[in-house]
Amino acid sequence: MVPFLNKVASEIMNLDQKLSPLRKGLLEFLVLKIVSGTTVYVADILKRLAGTEFATQEGTLYPLLSKLRREGLVDYEWQESEAGPPRKYYRLTSAGQAQLAELDDYWARINKTISELGN
Amino acid sequence: MRQVITASLNGRAYQLEDDAYEVLKAYLGEAATALSGNPDKDEIVADLEQAIADKCDRYLNPHKTVVVRSELARIIEDMGPVDGATPTAAAGPAPTPGASAGAEARPAADGGAPKRLYQISEGAMLSGVCTGIAAYLAVDVVLVRVAFVALAFLTGGAAVLAYLVLMFIVPYASTSEEHAAARGLPFNARALVERAKQKAAEFANSADWHGSGRQWKKEWRRARAEWRHEWRRARAEWRGRHWAPTPPPPPPPPAPAPYAAHVVTGLLLAVLGVVLAVITIGWVLAIISLLTTGAIFGWWLPPGVPWWVGLIVLVVLFNVIAWPLKAARRAAYHPRGGYHGPWVAAWDGLLGLAILFALAWYGYHHVPQLRELFDHVTDAIERTGLMV
Repeated sequence: MVPFLNKVASEIMNLDQKLSPLRKGLLEFLVLKIVSGTTVYVADILKRLAGTEFATQEGTLYPLLSKLRREGLVDYEWQESEAGPPRKYYRLTSAGQAQLAELDDYWARINKTISELGN
Repeated sequence: MRQVITASLNGRAYQLEDDAYEVLKAYLGEAATALSGNPDKDEIVADLEQAIADKCDRYLNPHKTVVVRSELARIIEDMGPVDGATPTAAAGPAPTPGASAGAEARPAADGGAPKRLYQISEGAMLSGVCTGIAAYLAVDVVLVRVAFVALAFLTGGAAVLAYLVLMFIVPYASTSEEHAAARGLPFNARALVERAKQKAAEFANSADWHGSGRQWKKEWRRARAEWRHEWRRARAEWRGRHWAPTPPPPPPPPAPAPYAAHVVTGLLLAVLGVVLAVITIGWVLAIISLLTTGAIFGWWLPPGVPWWVGLIVLVVLFNVIAWPLKAARRAAYHPRGGYHGPWVAAWDGLLGLAILFALAWYGYHHVPQLRELFDHVTDAIERTGLMV
């Protein structure tokens, strides 16, 4: 009985760890989605994600944005801010828009597959 | 008073207390390690610096121009570990198992944390050699001290010489990094923040007299500064009265009561200190007598009792006697602060002493063996006095 309970407890604890790579993989998709709306500043992205399952931090977001920029999916421009130094405002490039559309499509298909398998 | 270090964050100067600066340095160092090989490393580090600077601004205002460690620890926690996933590892929209959580970006330095012998002055009795060795071996400092004293006797004083040598050779741990190395703990921002958080939590649990740790620290600093100021003023006045030919400065306005209390407490503590010293000397003599002759000042241990039991009894006895005196002395370090206040602590010490004397008196009159011991001790002291 006790080993069984231990197993259940560790499964529950492991679930969050198991889902962590999934969340991490989806983060890129979500960031592209947020950037697609308007030009945004990093604090805006963090605010939009805070409170969701995808809440993240600067330490993760800056390297991710830098990677997306290198891949030509997003770009930034400097804008003066009312207080403090100029800030980087990110926007989606046309390549980024194309990839976001693809991702949206792909996500829809995944969802469909999951719900069909469930029934 | 703390030292302030000015750091440039993405081109702007920020003032940080020295230990806050170390946290920052460790975090950015870790970030650089995690991002090594990333073609945009410099740009990302600049972005991170800017984000930290923005967060620092929230803690700063015209009346507060320095960032302290607890604030910086919160900022770093807010920033989160820097994700060092290389560009190739996370290519494609699907989550690849290779590019997982930021925890994997932990630098290799974590595995073998450097461990070095340092002297640690916090809690040191003499120089900090024993505290340093205790930290290095991760054992209680009391054990190290007892071992050292035992070794000193067994080696006929060579250990004392070794102590002196170590005192001059072994460096002092002064930075947080060195303190971590002294204990062989990993030093990086995350470990530092973890330890700081743990300490803060411990403190929040233990300190109920002023709510938060920061407030307590502030209060304590204020009390200390006030006391120091009072002491300087009183000293200046006293000097003026006794030596200076110029007229003494005007008498201090109000608040003489706490000062007088401090003086009396100080005197009391000095007396207690002398008593403690006399007892300590007696104790050391007793140990020497036990180890050299097998008897304590000519008083033989009961048959069948080995010498080391006598030694343990002596150590316990000394601690029992010294405890109230030490408690009273501790009050000197907490003028007007602390949980009880100096008066309560001092009287606590005196009361302990009174109880001790009452017990000794009772023992002298009602326990023949104890009376014998007392007589032998006084005899031995007289003899030693004659010899000198």
